[in-house]
Amino acid sequence: MKCGVRFCGGCNPRFDRGKALREIERDVNNMDFTHAVEGETYDRLLVIGGCANCCASYDHFDVKGKIYKLWDYSQIDDLKKELNKD
Amino acid sequence: MLMTGAQYIESLRKMKTRVYMFGEEVKDWVDHPIIRPSINCVAITYDLAHDPEYADLMTAKSNLTGETVNRFSHLHQSTEDLKKKVKMQRLCGQKTASCFQRCVGMDAFNAVFSTTYETDKKYGTNYHENFKNFLKMVQEKDYVVDGAMTDPKGDRGLAPSAQRDPDLFMHIVERREDGIVVRGAKAHQTGTINSHWHIVMPTQAMKEADKDYAVSFACPSDAEGMYMIYGRQSCDTRKLEEGADVDLGNKQFGGQEALVVFDNVFIPNEYIFLAGEYDFAGMMVERFAGYHRQSYGGCKVGVGDVLIGAAALAAEYNGAQKASHIKDKLIEMIHLNETLYCCGIACSSEGHPTLAGNYEIDLLLANVCKQNVTRFPYDITRLAEDIAGGLMVTMPSEKDFKSDLKVGRNGETIGDICNKYFAAAPSCTTEERMRILRFIENICLGSSAVGYRTESLHGAGSPQAQRIMISRQGNLEGKKELAKAIVGIK
Repeated sequence: MKCGVRFCGGCNPRFDRGKALREIERDVNNMDFTHAVEGETYDRLLVIGGCANCCASYDHFDVKGKIYKLWDYSQIDDLKKELNKD
Repeated sequence: MLMTGAQYIESLRKMKTRVYMFGEEVKDWVDHPIIRPSINCVAITYDLAHDPEYADLMTAKSNLTGETVNRFSHLHQSTEDLKKKVKMQRLCGQKTASCFQRCVGMDAFNAVFSTTYETDKKYGTNYHENFKNFLKMVQEKDYVVDGAMTDPKGDRGLAPSAQRDPDLFMHIVERREDGIVVRGAKAHQTGTINSHWHIVMPTQAMKEADKDYAVSFACPSDAEGMYMIYGRQSCDTRKLEEGADVDLGNKQFGGQEALVVFDNVFIPNEYIFLAGEYDFAGMMVERFAGYHRQSYGGCKVGVGDVLIGAAALAAEYNGAQKASHIKDKLIEMIHLNETLYCCGIACSSEGHPTLAGNYEIDLLLANVCKQNVTRFPYDITRLAEDIAGGLMVTMPSEKDFKSDLKVGRNGETIGDICNKYFAAAPSCTTEERMRILRFIENICLGSSAVGYRTESLHGAGSPQAQRIMISRQGNLEGKKELAKAIVGIK
């Protein structure tokens, strides 16, 4: 499954967003993660914000299925479980 | 096309911009050690746009072309865009701890776009189309543009047309069939040498007698008749010292200001955005100032973030991080810094569309934002210096720390002695302690203090300019009515 990834712009992130993605890539085996670009179609989209505002824009991406969001490092284990079940 | 930082630096090499410093022409200004940190700073605005972790802030979709452009050349299309502008500026401040210079162009684009629309509506001129065509070119080429507003102004008590020397305000000296010739200068120009183009705007509201001074246009930075005299910064010649590193505080990045002279520069008609319609000079100034006062609620906050981090490290290196007064001072610094950010976000959230369609900020809140910026960075630097201790301004030079000259009774070198007596907590080396203290010095009173302190006071207008706007926008009469209604006064 192809999962697009969109980061917020990182003005004041409360955790290392890039590191979180690398951890998800390592532990989630049923998805190929790639930085989302316009014009491509994705099975899933993962939006990673640096704070609870999670202000990343993503409406312009073509996504067939669920959109996942992560904005706090404490959510990462639950997210990985959810992604692995998807 | 989004350039990379390296492509941007290469593009500057193709410019024939005339630069003078210390009384001499600087030919290889791109690689000059005093200038280069400021170029690196602008280059960051290009590189971050290519990084997926920052692209959401650093890029936007152009309403003119539909293409992805650097947000620094974007016309704000919503309050969300206005907020993202502030967040982008905070990010760039965090990455450079300096003035990254590209905001003035962005703020000029948004001010000139809406003002030309309204000028054309009244006078049937073609300025808005001129400007749109210019901006499309800027977006496509991913250029840096200096927004040049501040004239030298001469005798502050006199109008532009009443000055002893007419060149103290930028003015039209000749009108031709195919364009105008302008003469004058713009002072304190941030990033001017690092810009591919300039947008010139009037410096204040004008009356009919000053109509030749009500002029706005764009021109390339290497236009014939144009040259720049570099502004000195505190401690700038440290950058000329051989092998300088630690003593610079921030070796990689810095800001830049210069005097830009327009010595009879010809401006073709297609690059003119105002030429005599004096009643719109004030609108252009007010809108640019509004956007620029919003900007400071982002860029200075980003630099503040780094300074707070540096102060916290200095406390750790001094072994004082557990002291309650140190913790409290760091909290106060964060509180002041985030208050500035609140103002930047608030004036953006309360933004509204102009008649031309782009969004502008809430003017009252933007002026409150900048008024706070004239104060809080001074408080933050005071606290940073308090935490750092006097060593940040009394310690020997980097060369002393590295010196092999034997001076001690037992053959100790100057370096040995410096490292012995300036060692502190075991969590850091003496060099690390030096580095963080020199970095704090750089922001508080070295070359970056130009951007973080005095620019916070005078940039985008001195404190009194904001107080005038706060007075105009503050709705004092409405507040009186509120009081009357509650106490029963009719």
